[in-house]
Amino acid sequence: MHLFHHPLVRVVAATLAALLLTLAAATAGPVGQLVITDARGDRGMLAPYIHGKNGIGYLYTTYVFDSLLSQKKDGDVTPALAKRWTISRNGLICDIYIDLRAHWHDGEPVTAEDAAFTFSYMQEHPYVFADVRNVKEAKVLSHDHLRLQLKKPDAGLLTGMLLSMPVLPKHVYADVAEPQRFAEPEAVIGSGPYKLADYNKAQGRYVLEANADYYLGTPKFKRIAIVKMATDAALRAAKADEIDIISYLPPERLEQAKESGLNVVKAFSNHSVRLGFNHAGRFGSKDLRHAIAYAINRPALISTAYQDTADVADTGFFQEASPWHSDDVHPPYAFSPRKAADLLTAQGWARAEDQLWYIDGEQVVLRVLASKRETKAAKVLAEQLETFGIKLDVRIMERAALQDSLSEGNYDLALYASSTLGDPNGILRRVFGKKWASDRYSGKKLRALADAQSVATSRQQRQDILNEFQEVYSQELPAYAIANPYMVTAYNDKLSSLEFMPGGVAIGVPSALHKSYLVD
Amino acid sequence: MLGYWSPVTQSAGFVSKGALAASVILMMAGFTLSESLPAYKTSPDVLHPPSAEYWLGTNGIGQDVFIGLVRAAPITIFLALVTATVALALALAASSLAAFGGPAVRGAVLRVVDVLQVIPSILLLLLLAAWIQPGFLGLVVLLALTGWHEDVRVALPILLRELTRENVHFARRMGASRTYCLRHHILPAIWPAIVGLFLQNVRQAALKSAGFGFLGLTDPRLLTWGSMMQDAMEHLYTDAWAWLLLPPAGALSLFLIGILIIGEGYSQSGGLTGKEQYDPG
Repeated sequence: MHLFHHPLVRVVAATLAALLLTLAAATAGPVGQLVITDARGDRGMLAPYIHGKNGIGYLYTTYVFDSLLSQKKDGDVTPALAKRWTISRNGLICDIYIDLRAHWHDGEPVTAEDAAFTFSYMQEHPYVFADVRNVKEAKVLSHDHLRLQLKKPDAGLLTGMLLSMPVLPKHVYADVAEPQRFAEPEAVIGSGPYKLADYNKAQGRYVLEANADYYLGTPKFKRIAIVKMATDAALRAAKADEIDIISYLPPERLEQAKESGLNVVKAFSNHSVRLGFNHAGRFGSKDLRHAIAYAINRPALISTAYQDTADVADTGFFQEASPWHSDDVHPPYAFSPRKAADLLTAQGWARAEDQLWYIDGEQVVLRVLASKRETKAAKVLAEQLETFGIKLDVRIMERAALQDSLSEGNYDLALYASSTLGDPNGILRRVFGKKWASDRYSGKKLRALADAQSVATSRQQRQDILNEFQEVYSQELPAYAIANPYMVTAYNDKLSSLEFMPGGVAIGVPSALHKSYLVD
Repeated sequence: MLGYWSPVTQSAGFVSKGALAASVILMMAGFTLSESLPAYKTSPDVLHPPSAEYWLGTNGIGQDVFIGLVRAAPITIFLALVTATVALALALAASSLAAFGGPAVRGAVLRVVDVLQVIPSILLLLLLAAWIQPGFLGLVVLLALTGWHEDVRVALPILLRELTRENVHFARRMGASRTYCLRHHILPAIWPAIVGLFLQNVRQAALKSAGFGFLGLTDPRLLTWGSMMQDAMEHLYTDAWAWLLLPPAGALSLFLIGILIIGEGYSQSGGLTGKEQYDPG
């Protein structure tokens, strides 16, 4: 008794009591909160038409909106809002049966009506990440039975459209004429595992709350906060246990993250850095594209601009980790100033005594556009081409300015990165599309192959066509793939064994944060 | 600011002329030498600490920091001096217009300054970047045009204060011409402020021009001490900041001190008044 009055004993006892209380609190239920940091911040409100038009904006939106299908951890499709489906032998009719356990965040049940509505609504208001133009009719046969009639067979029906398209609540969106301007709280009523509880655009902060009625399991966390934080701050905060995930850690900081006590997962992003050409201008000629490729020393560029955070990319569009990557070897365009010079000379270019290249007596100056992330690569690339004798004017620009310069054709070369993952139908957007990070190519032969693979009737047939596509791509060179950078995600023990989704999340987002890791 | 230097620079005129000559020589020599200097080329020897081979180490893409520092000197000095001069001239012209032009003109000038201050210059520059692709001289003009208005806010009140002083009134009453008053009474009094504004303009020009590469206004390879400092920022988490940030920052500081000495010396040596010395104390 007297012993208890000893100050030291009292301190120890108090500490023990506090420890016990903490332990009790920690084991009382599911882990309360998960904090994800994002170096860039605002990705727009998490509803299909208003999220940022990039992979991350889309990824966060999948936490709030479920699609008809989802992915297992190995990348294969698995039931989500559609509990089962059948496709007719001719590939034109798809019967979908809705999981009636699913509810919208406002309590309304999800029905076949909602799914049918989404198909017709997206015909009228195209959604950038799900192309539904191939749907002729979406007919509601019963409360849970939807029949899709397609215009032509779609090899990417499951892994493309049905996996990517977020299903919209009819009772909310039916009256919305301009979804791009619809940012009311109702706009984020989805059927996913988490509800958007708060969004601060200025601070780039999201608060998601668990959807207790989720039909595919129990959300792992009561709250998920996504906050904007620079890498340095995030690493410090991780040490203090204030944050749990650094979504994209610069790969060169991997060791530092380990020292901060984080687990790390590292993989090739397959988000390849490519040198695009202005096909409508000077580089409509394949030989000129080849000449530029031969004048670039990719291994040297990578060892300077990326060191060990990237590897030399495959020139056939798909990268090695892709399930669709062909086993054939594609031409690497190994650095050869002589071959480059021969090709240029054949095209009427001439090298003067000053070692610079001229066309009809006029010095060649190529305008190169790059986004800020590619600054280092752009500088090294410029040095290589200038050593070869081609003068460059390099411009680093914001995305909107880049898009403008491109549509005006005000460039010769462009350095950008975009994903090569997801359903192969993505090539229609990434090779033939008009956006900044697309190759903006229109060659007929390649286009025919891209179209043919989309209507292939078997996986083998599709693979065969895609093999040929990759071969033609590597020869036509719509863009010259330079580097395949690594991506790293760092996380603490609130999550276990994260992996980058093989083949990418849904539309092909290279990410280790698929929503299946956030649901038990 | 000036008082600090006064006891040190007894023969300020000499020092000032020396510094002026030195910077002009450095600039000219830099421009002519830059062809014969080793190239500022990239290498896989990335973030190499200072050594016998790389005196000041290498940066994030393996470029030799020492070579960069020397190569950037003439460009930085030229860019900063010309921009600061143009901006200051614009500001003084606007201030004089406002001071002598009566209430209506003064109101108009001040409103223009207000508008320019309210609109962030970065916004203006982004807009311009979408329209035009300025060359090196265009860059100077842009820097001057987006920098002068801040000087007016400082220069105008000082000018107004000096214009209403007794000595000016007295001199005028005694038959002194306007030019005489300007030269012997007003300029000497506002000179320290002018030097201060000039310094501020130089510093701003050096740092602001570094950001232009990321707005698409210039080639990101345009080498200035400012751009070297900006590149250093992404390496603050490693030891590399010491050899990436300190050399350009040190060079820029030395340059600013040099200008300060020149400005100080000019007023000390009587260059302003021609005959008598002006004592700011």
